[in-house]
Amino acid sequence: MSSQNEQFDRKKDDHLAEFADQVLDGKNRQTASTSDEELLGLERTILRLRDAHPSDSLSEAETKRMLVRFKSRLRREEQTPKPSFWQRLFDFQSNPQVAMILAVAAVLILAVVSLPLLTPSGGSVTGTASNMSTTFFAVGLIGLLLIVYWFSRRK
Amino acid sequence: MTTNYMSDTPNPPIQETADELLIQQFKDGNRDAFDLLYQRHLPNVYKRVRYVVPENDVEDVTQEIFIAALKSLPSFRGDSKFGTWLRTLTNHKVAEFYRKRTRKQEPLLAPLSEATSHSTGSTSKTLEERVYIQRAMQNLPENYREIILLRFAEDLQFNEIAELTHQNLEATKSLFRRAIAALRTHLEK
Repeated sequence: MSSQNEQFDRKKDDHLAEFADQVLDGKNRQTASTSDEELLGLERTILRLRDAHPSDSLSEAETKRMLVRFKSRLRREEQTPKPSFWQRLFDFQSNPQVAMILAVAAVLILAVVSLPLLTPSGGSVTGTASNMSTTFFAVGLIGLLLIVYWFSRRK
Repeated sequence: MTTNYMSDTPNPPIQETADELLIQQFKDGNRDAFDLLYQRHLPNVYKRVRYVVPENDVEDVTQEIFIAALKSLPSFRGDSKFGTWLRTLTNHKVAEFYRKRTRKQEPLLAPLSEATSHSTGSTSKTLEERVYIQRAMQNLPENYREIILLRFAEDLQFNEIAELTHQNLEATKSLFRRAIAALRTHLEK
C-alpha cells in the first residue's frame, strides 16, 4: 500500500515537473490534468506564477546602463567618509536595541538615585512600606516603558 | 596559478575567462575584472530579485548585492562556485531588505500605484498579482522558495537543480511539488 502511494506520488512529481518544463518553454498555456483535482490546482499555481512575472531578460543596453549606475554609486560610496564605530552604535534608527538599553539604564539610574530621596526619615516600619512603594513605582515605570516600546514597534 | 594558465595556453578572450580567473585578477588589483563578473551574473541576480522584491526596489537591491559582492570578494576563498556564493549573498540581501522595511515600519510591499508608475508594460492586474505572489513567496520555507526561484527565475532544469543541491532527481521533483503545493496554500489564504 505504502509503495503504491509512493509510486502514485512519484507520478504526480514527474507530471508536475514536466508540466512546469512545458510552461516555461512556452509550449503549454493551459492546465492539462482534468481528472486529478490536486494536480489541477498545482498546475494553475504554476501558470499564475509564470503569468505574473515577466519572462524577458535584461537587454544589453539595460545591462550597460546598470553597470554605469553601479560604478557611479560605488564611486559615491567610496568618496563618502565611513561612519565611525561610535556613530554606527548610536545610530538609533538602525540600532533600536541600543536605544532601548540606554532608556532602561536611564530609568534604572533614576530609580536608584531617587530612592533615598523618596524615603522619609520616619520609623523603620513606615520606611519599609515607603521603600516597597518606591520599588513598585520603579518596576511599574520600567514595565510601562517596555509596553510603550513594544507597541510602538508593532505599529 | 594565473601565470601558469597563461603560459600553457593561449590567452582566452576576456569574455570567456572563467569566473575564478576574473576573481583572481580582481584580487590582483584589476578592478575591470569585476565589470565582467557583473555583466555575466547580472541577468540571473536581477531575475531572482525581481521574483521576490517589489518592482520599485529591484534595481536598488540588485546594485546593493553587487556592491556587497565587490566588498567581500577579497575574502572569497573559492570553496564554492562564484555563482553559488552570489546566490547566497542575494538571499541574504533580500532578507536584509525585508528586515529593514519591517524595522522602518514601512509596508512590506510598495503600494500598487507606486509600482505601476515605475513599471513598463505590465498591467495593474498583473502587478497586483505579482505583489500577491511575492507576499506568498516570502512566507514559504527557504528550501521551497529556493527551488521555485531556481526553476522559474533562473530557468535551471530539474537535473541541474538536483546537481546544484546535491539531491537526486526524484527528491528534487518531489520538493518542487511540495513547494508549489505550499505556495498554492498561501495564495488561497
